[in-house]
Amino acid sequence: MNGLRLKFLRGEEVKYISHLDLMRVFERALRRARLPVAYSKGFNPHPEMVFGLPLSVGVTSEAEYADFGIEGTIEPADFMRRLNSQLPSGLKVLEAKKKFTKDNIMASITMASYKITVSTEGSYERGFLLEKLKEFIERPSIIVKKETKSKVRDVDIKPMIHHLCLGDTEEGVFTINCLLSAGSSANLKPELLYDAFAETFGEGIKLKAIHRTGLFVSRNGVMVDPLDNTVLKGTNSKR
Amino acid sequence: MSMNNRISDDILRNVEKPARYTGNEWNVIQKDANSVKVRFAFCFPDVYEVGMSHLGMRILYHLINEREDSWCERVFAPWVDMEEKMRENGIPLFALESHDPVSVFDFVGFSLQYEMSYTNIINMLDLAGIPIRTAERTMEHPFVCAGGPCACNPEPLADIIDFFILGEGEEVINEVLDIYIEWKGNGTSREDFLDKISSVEGVYVPSFYDVQYNDDGTVKTVVPIKDKYPRKIRKRIIKDLDNVYYPEKVIVPFTDIVHNRMMLELFRGCIRGCRFCQAGFIYRPVREKNPEKLVECAEKLEESTGYEEISLASLSTSDYTGLGKLTDQLIEVMEPRKVNLALPSLRVDSFSLNLMEKAQKVRKSGLTFAPEAGTQRLRDVINKGVNEEDLINSVTIAFEGGWSTVKLYFMLGLPTETYEDIAGIADLGKKVVDAYMSVPKEKRGKGLKVTLSTSSFVPKPFTPFQWEAQDTIEMLIEKQRFLKDKIKSRYITYNWHEPELSFLEAVFARGDRKTGDVLIKAWEKGCKFDSWGDQFKFEKWIEAFEECGVDPAFYANRKRDYDEVFPWDHIDMGISKRFLLKENEKAYKGELTSNCRVSCSGCGAATFGSSICIKND
Repeated sequence: MNGLRLKFLRGEEVKYISHLDLMRVFERALRRARLPVAYSKGFNPHPEMVFGLPLSVGVTSEAEYADFGIEGTIEPADFMRRLNSQLPSGLKVLEAKKKFTKDNIMASITMASYKITVSTEGSYERGFLLEKLKEFIERPSIIVKKETKSKVRDVDIKPMIHHLCLGDTEEGVFTINCLLSAGSSANLKPELLYDAFAETFGEGIKLKAIHRTGLFVSRNGVMVDPLDNTVLKGTNSKR
Repeated sequence: MSMNNRISDDILRNVEKPARYTGNEWNVIQKDANSVKVRFAFCFPDVYEVGMSHLGMRILYHLINEREDSWCERVFAPWVDMEEKMRENGIPLFALESHDPVSVFDFVGFSLQYEMSYTNIINMLDLAGIPIRTAERTMEHPFVCAGGPCACNPEPLADIIDFFILGEGEEVINEVLDIYIEWKGNGTSREDFLDKISSVEGVYVPSFYDVQYNDDGTVKTVVPIKDKYPRKIRKRIIKDLDNVYYPEKVIVPFTDIVHNRMMLELFRGCIRGCRFCQAGFIYRPVREKNPEKLVECAEKLEESTGYEEISLASLSTSDYTGLGKLTDQLIEVMEPRKVNLALPSLRVDSFSLNLMEKAQKVRKSGLTFAPEAGTQRLRDVINKGVNEEDLINSVTIAFEGGWSTVKLYFMLGLPTETYEDIAGIADLGKKVVDAYMSVPKEKRGKGLKVTLSTSSFVPKPFTPFQWEAQDTIEMLIEKQRFLKDKIKSRYITYNWHEPELSFLEAVFARGDRKTGDVLIKAWEKGCKFDSWGDQFKFEKWIEAFEECGVDPAFYANRKRDYDEVFPWDHIDMGISKRFLLKENEKAYKGELTSNCRVSCSGCGAATFGSSICIKND
C-alpha cells in the first residue's frame, strides 16, 4: 500500500475539539478535496488514516502527524496543497512525504515534547523557579494518582520524564519545556506532570496553556523526527 | 476573525463539550460587522447539538447571509455548567461567529420547535441582558422575534416576543429586513417599526391585539387595537419549492450533533391528516420538490460539506411521489462517492425493504412502526390509515428479510380510549412476536426484540382534537401500569414517557396570555432545559402555577365546547375551524377521511393555490 505521512499543526481555533472530532474533520476534508485516499473494505468504508498521539482537549500543537493510505498516485506536495485548501482555520499541513515503511505513526511514537505555560500570581525570580524545578525533578520518585476506568493507582512518573527545563520567564508567567514518554508502552500526559509540579510548588500558580512542540519515534535507541527519511524508508523492513 | 475573544481558556477547560462554544466550523459565514446594516442572531433555545441538527435553522442562516447587507449568526442555549461560568464572570450571551454579545444585534430570532423550550428563551434573553418583556425594551435593544411550529399558538409568549413570523420564513424574513433597513435610517420608535411590518402577511405583533376574557377564564375576544391591523393573521407558505432558496453549503460541525449529515427536504406538508398530528395540518398544503433538482442539490451539498451520509427529511417520506426514482438516482450518484443514504422510517412494504437493502447494505438495524393505537376502532378515530393486517404483513416480510428488531410507537390517552384499546397494544405486540415465530427458523434473523413505546397524547391547536381534554397525570400513570401488566412475552420491552412533561406541554400548547406569567415565574424558580430529564423540576412548575393563580388543569384537562373562542383563533394557519370541527365529529363516529391525493377533504389549504389542491378541486 502506498502511503503518505503528514505533519500538521493544530492551533487555538481547534484546540477544544476531541480526537474523534479531529478524525472526522480530516475525513470530510479529504472528501471535499477529492483526494485519492484508500478506503477500508466492508459495509462502512472509512479512509485509511492513522493519527499519532491524541492531544488532550485544550492543548495546541505544532507537531501532529498522520499517515494516509493512498490509492493510485499523488505527489505529496499536491496532496498537502489540496488538503490545506479544505481544512478549517487552525489546522494546517506543514509537510508531507511518501512513506514506505509499514510501521504506522501511532505504533511508532515513543516521546513527545511540550511547552507548559504557567501563570503566577506574583512575580518570581528566575533563580527561584529553577530551584523549584530542580527540587521537583531531583526527588527519588514522583508519585501521582492515575485514574483508570476502574480504580485510582499510584504511579511513579519520574522514569517517564526525560528532560525538564525552565523556558522563558516574564512578569506573571513562565514556561516549562519537557520531554516525556509517549505512546503505547509508556505515556505521560503533560497535565499530570504539571499537577505533580504544582503540588510541590504550592499556592500561587495556575496552568495557562499546554503546547506540543514535538513527537518522536525512536530508531536504534535514537530519537528521530517521524518524517525523517530513515524512518519513512523503514530500513529494517524489506524494500 | 479571532475567536474566543471573550471566553477564556479557564472557562472552556472546565465545561462539558467546549466545542459547543467555539464556532469556526467549516462553511461558517464570517462578515465584517461594520459593513453590514443588519445583524441577526438566530437563536435556538436548546444546546448546540440539538439546534445545529435543525433544518430550518440551516436554511434561514444561509438565506439571510446571502444578503450583503445582513449578517446572521448562531446562538444556542449554553448548557447549565457554561451558564454558571458565564454568570460568574459577567459574560453575556454571545453569538458563535463573532462572539459578540447578542444585545448589540438588530434582531434576536428564536426558533419555536417545542413548548418545553420556552423557559430557555427567557433564560437566553436574561443572559443577553435583554429585558424579558416586550414592554420593557427600548430603542437600544434588539427586536425579539420568533417562528416555527409552536408559533401557531403564540399567545403564551405574547408578552415576551415582539413579533412572530407565521408559516414558512424564506420570503417574510427578507421583507422584514428590507423594511427594517429603511426604518433604521430614520427610525422613530420601536412601535413605528412594528407598525410597518404588521402589514406584511405572516407577521403577527401581539402587542397590537387586545384580549378580553369571559368570567370563566376562557377567551372572549381578540381584537386589533387599530382597524388597520389584520383581524386574522395568515401564515405564509412558499408556493414553488423548486425555486425557493435552498443552501448548497451548510455548516459542518466539529463535534457530533444529533443529525450529523446532509439533509434533503423532499416536500413540505403531509397528505395524511392523522387527527392528533399538528404537523400534519399546519404545514399544508403538500408541495413536492422535483427529484432531478433534489439530486442536483445533493451533489452540491456533498461537494461543499464532505459529509459521508445523506438523509431524506420530510414528514412522511413514503408519500413522496418520486421516491423510487429519487432513491435510485441518489444511490447511483452517492455510491461511488462512498456516501451512505440514511433512510427515515418508511411505511414498511416490499418496496421499502428492498430499498433499505439497496441503500444501507449494513446490518439490519431496527424497523420502526407507528400504529399509534392498539385497536382498529381507535386507529379509525385518529384517522391513522393503518390496519392490523397490513402491519402484520409488513413485519412478516421484514422478518423473512432477516430483520429481527421492531419498535412500535403508541399514544396513551387518545380521545375515546378505553382499557380495551390499551390491552390492544399488548395484543399487537404479541401478534408481532407470533409473526416472527411463524417464519421458518432458517429464514428469520436471530434475537427477536420487540419494543412497545407509549407517549402521552397532547391535544394541539389546529388539529381536530384541539377541543379535547388530556388525561390527568394519574390516569396516564394508571394506564401505563395497566399496559405493563398486560405484557407477558419475554421478547417484548415496554418504554413509556413521564406524563408530567406531557401535561405541561398540553398547558402551553393551548395556553393563553395568562400562561406567559407562569413561564416567567417558573424560570425565576430555576426551570430551564425542561425537556432534559435531569433538569426537569416539576414541583417548581406547580409552585409557579399556584403563585400566578393559574390552574394548569383548565388548559390541559378541560374539554372545550365547540363554540369556545380559542386563544389562537386570530391566527390563520390555512386550516378552517369548521373543517377541524367536522373532523372531530367524524372521529367520534370512527369515520375515516381520505388523504389529499385520493380526494380533497376541504381543509381550507386550497386557498394557497398549491398544485395538489387544484388537481383535487
